[in-house]
Amino acid sequence: MELDFSPLIDSWRYLLGGLGITLLLSVLTAAGSLVLGTVLGLGRVYGPAWLRVPIVFYIDTQRAIPVLVILVWFYFAVPILTGISFHPFWAALMALTLHIAAYVAEIVRAGIESIRPGQVRAALALGMSRTQIVRKVVLPQAMVRMLPSFGSVLSITIKDTAIAAVIAVPELMKRAETIAGQSYRPIEVFTTVMVIYFIILFPGSRLIDRLYQRVAHLGRS
Amino acid sequence: MNSDNMATRTASHSERRGAHLPPVVVYDNVRKLYGEFVAIDGVSVQVNKGEVMCLIGPSGSGKSTLLRCTNALETVDGGRVLFDGVPLPTDETNARKVRRRMGMVFQNFELFPHKSALDNVAIGPLTVLGISETEARARAMKLLEKVGLADKAGNFPSGLSGGQQQRVAIARALAMEPEVMLFDEPTSALDPETIGEVLNVMKRLAEEGMTMMVVTHEMAFARRVANWVVVFDHGKVVEQGPPGQIFENPTAERTRDFLGHLGWNG
Amino acid sequence: MNLDWTIVWQHRWDLAQGAGLTVLLTVLTMLAAVPAGMVLALMRLSRSRILSTASLWFVEFFRNLPLILVVYWAFYVMPVFLHIEFSAFTTGLIALCLNVSAYNAETFRAGINSIRKGQMEAAIAVGMSRWQAMKQIIIPQAWRRVLPVLASTWVSLFKDTSLVSVIAVGELAHVALQIRSSSFRVLEMLTAMAVIYWLMGYPQAKLADWVHKRFEVKE
Repeated sequence: MELDFSPLIDSWRYLLGGLGITLLLSVLTAAGSLVLGTVLGLGRVYGPAWLRVPIVFYIDTQRAIPVLVILVWFYFAVPILTGISFHPFWAALMALTLHIAAYVAEIVRAGIESIRPGQVRAALALGMSRTQIVRKVVLPQAMVRMLPSFGSVLSITIKDTAIAAVIAVPELMKRAETIAGQSYRPIEVFTTVMVIYFIILFPGSRLIDRLYQRVAHLGRS
Repeated sequence: MNSDNMATRTASHSERRGAHLPPVVVYDNVRKLYGEFVAIDGVSVQVNKGEVMCLIGPSGSGKSTLLRCTNALETVDGGRVLFDGVPLPTDETNARKVRRRMGMVFQNFELFPHKSALDNVAIGPLTVLGISETEARARAMKLLEKVGLADKAGNFPSGLSGGQQQRVAIARALAMEPEVMLFDEPTSALDPETIGEVLNVMKRLAEEGMTMMVVTHEMAFARRVANWVVVFDHGKVVEQGPPGQIFENPTAERTRDFLGHLGWNG
Repeated sequence: MNLDWTIVWQHRWDLAQGAGLTVLLTVLTMLAAVPAGMVLALMRLSRSRILSTASLWFVEFFRNLPLILVVYWAFYVMPVFLHIEFSAFTTGLIALCLNVSAYNAETFRAGINSIRKGQMEAAIAVGMSRWQAMKQIIIPQAWRRVLPVLASTWVSLFKDTSLVSVIAVGELAHVALQIRSSSFRVLEMLTAMAVIYWLMGYPQAKLADWVHKRFEVKE
């Protein structure tokens, strides 16, 4: 079996561009879903019933439907409903952000609920108001505890952007598909892209672990 | 309370510390239930100004629950708790105002792990009293000096021993300049070596005239430092009086049982 | 915008078949990936450096790759390297198994590690071998902690089966997308696809919640 990596070498710029799109989409999605997810998570824990119920329904719905389905629905169905058509990149950004935000919301909830009730009692005993307690005692500790999970959010986001290939977002996965199709050298192409993804994803998780070890004591009550 | 106790109480009541002043806290037939379980069953006690009151008794006898009802962390189901002559408010805003005038120290210290020792002590004045940051920190530093931990001001709780954490916790409560200090088993979670340093701080506080309510199992401390001892069992007050009476001549059977069980030989 | 929802009813049996295949893929994958995960976890925890490192690399590899890429890669690479032609279904199944085994390996490893070291020491002090201690003391306790995570993995897996549609495996996503292409009823089919997944996925998510509550470990 002979391997021919020349199509990759010829198209390295094209592939690199794809990587750039992957990273851009990932970073924007991660940022958006962190913000939206935190809002949803806080609303879920501290909000009144009329807010909590829809949020829970939303989160559970995102847990029930695959990313692929949401991506495809956003790109093909929303234009029919609203008359606006989106560039694949923006469709993917919206779909992924909405989906991953649900996951972030659950992380936020778990983080907040993991804070010892004794901490709240101590803050109450000092005379703090509920808002002050959430802002100054619960959330700072919860943020530290949630750090490893937030790290995995970024990892999951990068992996999910690869699915955006099915709606022709020109990210790494899609471009790999294109080159593989044109060059009839799928083994070389996909193996190389595998290595690229691994190199992006693997150090990230190690880095988060390292960072977490440093600050973990700030979240331990 | 049986008539024996009534007699004892009345006899030493006038000699009791702070007896000539209005009491700081009054429990008037307080009842507290957790579902079916009666945690506090008709407790009537008063805490005088400048007095160190120790609450002793078996685990689950209601002592800690009573303390938590005192600063409205929990609500009572029957009777009243009066602070400075006024019943405890039921709404959150006014309850907060009352809590600012009391200091509480917890068995598990409950220092805020994401703040240094200095910031832990300063957070009350800073956040609740709205004092300026420089002033709050200066006050915090003075209090850390008072408990002997000025050199640990920059340390985080994870870098402090249990005894040191508890002393910071005491400083944190004192930063609010409370009228009464509530201690909920302050040394139960400590190693034997560090218990002493915490009890010493509490003893000095008592000598300075702070009104203190201490739930404790440290009988030697109660014997030496308390002005008044209240013995609990199954949610009721079994006996109360000066430490001399409780530890040397207890009148109630239950008190004798409890102390004998602890191996207390006077 | 004229919608024709009857298209969904017309193709109900195709969709049902697709849904059935989705379920089948999920079940088969879990049946393989749970024992595989256990083996990988035990390899990782074993004294042998070779086994431990091999397991580590396998797990880290498959946990740090997009599943859709693994599906494509399996489709193109396996026939060449193994000289066997697999059906798309089998290929997809293998890709899913590789992926989920890696996650399960971590789940089992974390579960076993969460049992206090003292338990192992106590068992050995009584005279058990390490293997006996594992079997009789550690693993029975670790199950409680592992079950909720497995439930979550199941829910994720159920959704991930949609990815094998890209190599034309006839599960729900593929079937729905095919009907969309042939009928041009885009909104109807895509919505129907989403709704069917929701109807199947929502109860499973709630079941997973129940498992979490039931087996919650309170230290």
